[in-house]
Amino acid sequence: MKVLVIIPAYNEEASIGAVIKSIKHHAPEAQIIVINDGSRDNTHIEAAKAGATVINLPFNLGIGGAMQTGYLYAKANDFDAAIQVDGDGQHDPAYIHKLLKPIESGSASVVIGSRYVYETSYKSSFSRRTGMIFFSILVKILTGQTIKDTTSGFRAVNRDVIEYFAEHYPTDYPEVDVLVKLHKKKFRVIEVPVEMQQRQGGKSSITPLRSIYYMIKVSLSLLVGALRSNEC
Amino acid sequence: MFFNVYTISIIFTVLFLFTVIELVRKNKLQEKYSLLWIFMSIILLILSSTPAIINTLAGWLDIKNPPSLLFLFGLVYLIIYNLHLTVVISKQSENITRLAQEVALLKEKNSRNDSD
Repeated sequence: MKVLVIIPAYNEEASIGAVIKSIKHHAPEAQIIVINDGSRDNTHIEAAKAGATVINLPFNLGIGGAMQTGYLYAKANDFDAAIQVDGDGQHDPAYIHKLLKPIESGSASVVIGSRYVYETSYKSSFSRRTGMIFFSILVKILTGQTIKDTTSGFRAVNRDVIEYFAEHYPTDYPEVDVLVKLHKKKFRVIEVPVEMQQRQGGKSSITPLRSIYYMIKVSLSLLVGALRSNEC
Repeated sequence: MFFNVYTISIIFTVLFLFTVIELVRKNKLQEKYSLLWIFMSIILLILSSTPAIINTLAGWLDIKNPPSLLFLFGLVYLIIYNLHLTVVISKQSENITRLAQEVALLKEKNSRNDSD
């Protein structure tokens, strides 16, 4: 199975090198691609030094546009599976094979590495937890499926989903939005428990006020998206 | 009174129409975006040069001050045109995103071929 690891990165020079080395250690057979989303630091240099293929976007597209670039690459180069890993070090590459296993056996199209399937040592802030529960309920209403960690960006997908994502991937707030889209397209989504680490470098974009704003935006986008026709 | 809302409206619309046509002529405005503006200008021109239409319409709609119907038309039109513009912008940003992705992928492919 040809596996591509996609790392979207925006100003992650402090952590990207270690993340790539760790992936190489845990999944030496996978090809690693870093989508440098218009970083203003040396993310691309650090990534190339660590031995990843680097795609430099000419300007910042945001997480959705960057992610999709990875899927376009995966489609063009005939990968059988793709796995997204954050560039900040919070996703432990030791779990890559655990995420890939259901893909390999064909029992799922999408596998989400989840912090909340059962208790892990991951400590999250109050606003983050509130958001998680909120989105979980929203996704439950819209899809009927229980997904505990809706915003986890640690995901593995199979070839069919790669092809779908290459054509359709939401630009803004993609993590939650994508779940509803996948459900509409009848892809099988499962969660596997993983431990997540605190980020190794850089700073999180999440502040209490911003997360409320984020919650409102995502909810509106989801509700409007739920009305959308099936071609998209 | 000569200088009323209707005459102002006529003068403004004629100037506006002239500006739109001039912009198209100088290639600063694409024809397809000028059409809606020209269409609106002509309607406004007809309405403001024939107060009878406005007066009748205002009578039907129970509007006390007929010229305010003129403003209503203008306002509604602007809202619709704004919506049209955001649709255009959405399409364009989608295209720009895809363009940036393709460029980035091609650059990577290119550098790989060079090093081979």
